[in-house]
Amino acid sequence: MSTESQSVELVGEDVVGNVARAALFAALVGAFAYVSFPNPISPVPVSLQVLGVFLAGIFLGPVWGGASLAFYLVAGAAGAPIFSGGQAGLGPLVGYTGGYLWSYPVAAALIGAVVHGVDGIEEPETVGTARLVAGMLAGTVVIYALGTVGFALVQNVGLTQAFAVSALAFVPFEAVKIAAAVGIVRSDAAAAA
Amino acid sequence: MLTYHPGDSIAHRLDPRTKLFVQAAFAAAAFAHTTLSGLAWLSLVALAFLAAGRLSPLRAVRGYLPALPFLAAGPLVSVFAVDPATVSVGIDPASAFDPLLASYRVLLVLLVSAVYLHATPVRDSRAAIQRLVPGRTGRLLGVGVALVFRFLPLLRADLRRAREASAARLGSERSLRDRIRLVGAAGIRRAFGRADRLALALRARCFAWNPTLPALRFGKIDAVGLLVAAALGVAAVV
Repeated sequence: MSTESQSVELVGEDVVGNVARAALFAALVGAFAYVSFPNPISPVPVSLQVLGVFLAGIFLGPVWGGASLAFYLVAGAAGAPIFSGGQAGLGPLVGYTGGYLWSYPVAAALIGAVVHGVDGIEEPETVGTARLVAGMLAGTVVIYALGTVGFALVQNVGLTQAFAVSALAFVPFEAVKIAAAVGIVRSDAAAAA
Repeated sequence: MLTYHPGDSIAHRLDPRTKLFVQAAFAAAAFAHTTLSGLAWLSLVALAFLAAGRLSPLRAVRGYLPALPFLAAGPLVSVFAVDPATVSVGIDPASAFDPLLASYRVLLVLLVSAVYLHATPVRDSRAAIQRLVPGRTGRLLGVGVALVFRFLPLLRADLRRAREASAARLGSERSLRDRIRLVGAAGIRRAFGRADRLALALRARCFAWNPTLPALRFGKIDAVGLLVAAALGVAAVV
């Protein structure tokens, strides 16, 4: 029997808490992919992943919000069925959904930066509604801009057509998700966090 | 849903890192050669990969069923040519050819990643990630990935219960915004509750940077796999 001796290097207190939250949030974004509401203007239902991206930026801040969505992408690539419709693997990351998926960490970090600034995390419920909405709007723009460009490049279609197929039927619901996210921040869920 | 199935096929015996390289090289080759002949050759390669993992093409396609409408929509919409100057819509079936090839190449890439999912256990994927990404970043990614796998079913069940409870109280009659708010708030509460208990447990068990991972070793069969990856990589560049 072989033995190994090496010094154990403990993970710092605050990192443990942040890693746990970031990982749980990534799993939550994955679970949100399964929560769908019927979409009156498209056969593809509305799912809540983007809401998860908004909330990751708002509740975890720029650094750990971005890290959380990075966990999400890597776990999905490694086989967790967490991309839209329960897909997984490296394929979706280089396929037509690639632009959307890669935009998530960027958008979460951007939302975190707008909501919290770059010098530490504030309590989300103390942040003004205008700032929350501005952050989420900026995030939405990043997600759909990168997503549309990715779709156009991978599917070899024009930008207008890419937007029509991959974004048009979903953009109106982002307003509902932004309103819901503000409601969540103002509800007691935020106080419990 | 595509998940790991134990087996002893060639794809199962390969090192996960080899399989990741092969997938990346295949995707690069598919994007570099989106022509009729290029994709015909790559279809043969993809079929060979499916055979190497003993995964039926039908099951692989079924795993990516939600992707099919989008793959079909690309070529379909490019048939219409909208001219904003005259607000006229023309129909040009020939312009669907390139988007059709593009859709097909994405389907091939998805099939190849299905083989990886079918033939690679999560622990091996995690070990591969941690060895490919150096330093503490890699270790954090490894931990994060393992936790996502562990907690996804629990959070899905949490959300399902929240939706059932809401529906039982006529929540489905509420506005879309309220329904999203209720599910989202329940999800956050559960996720943070679980995260805090997990962090406490990790601290109590001296969560350290030194992980115990399954040993990964490149074997003889990986030499073949790496050669295939290299050949695909060269094909992508040339």
